[in-house]
Amino acid sequence: MIPTHWFLILSAVLFAIGVCGVLTRKNGITIFMSIELMVNAVNLTFVAYARQFHQLHGIIFVFFIMAIAAAEAAVGLAIFISLFHHRETIDVDEANLMRW
Amino acid sequence: MIEFIVFFAFAAVAIIFALVVILHRNPVVSVLSLVASFFSLAVMYVLLEAPFLAVLQVIIYAGAIMVLFLFVIMLLNLQHREEPATRPVQQFLGYTGAAVFGIALVYYIAKYAVLKLPGTPFLSDARRVGISLFQAYVLPFEAVSILLLAAIVGALVLSGRGAVAQ
Repeated sequence: MIPTHWFLILSAVLFAIGVCGVLTRKNGITIFMSIELMVNAVNLTFVAYARQFHQLHGIIFVFFIMAIAAAEAAVGLAIFISLFHHRETIDVDEANLMRW
Repeated sequence: MIEFIVFFAFAAVAIIFALVVILHRNPVVSVLSLVASFFSLAVMYVLLEAPFLAVLQVIIYAGAIMVLFLFVIMLLNLQHREEPATRPVQQFLGYTGAAVFGIALVYYIAKYAVLKLPGTPFLSDARRVGISLFQAYVLPFEAVSILLLAAIVGALVLSGRGAVAQ
């Protein structure tokens, strides 16, 4: 069996890569993809600890996170489509108003 | 021994493709790299004895959500659009900040979170997850179904080009 902390380290590295993507990119969809990367890193932590402590709760939590990520992706991408129709761009620096 | 080789190979794949996601300028390449990264995370779930979640990861994340991203990028015709360069100070602070954060996280995990493995395996297959979902977690399960319905309606309203307002 592979030790739990190796999975935690992999998860930490993926999370840091996601943070880096959110901080340095301007394309809204790429930022969104970095957020999905961070969500998946956290999922890996949940599953690793679920195996470590023999708890099913971590697995169930990941199930719900996946459902919520699907809902979030649908609504977020709809916002980007709406933004693109208004502004002809998805650059997040151009879209810094809550309404227009 | 073989599972260590599988772990390191797919961990390397996951990290390399995650780096491609944030470094490549073309969003289509980013989405496809993210699919590859999610596939290697599904392999991690198999190594963690959670085959049900591995299947869900492939079907929902690599299948449904990433196809949604790809459709939106192609619908908006973003793959030929040049992304403007980020300010150098933002680049520098973003990369160093994320690197410091990642190194600190790895350091503290290696220092404090090294746990002794339990002797017995813990298999979380579809049967156990399903029984738990429909007994202990039936209320959150229904709440998530309502949330998904709300997301469908919200996505339709937001992307409907003002058709709802008329």
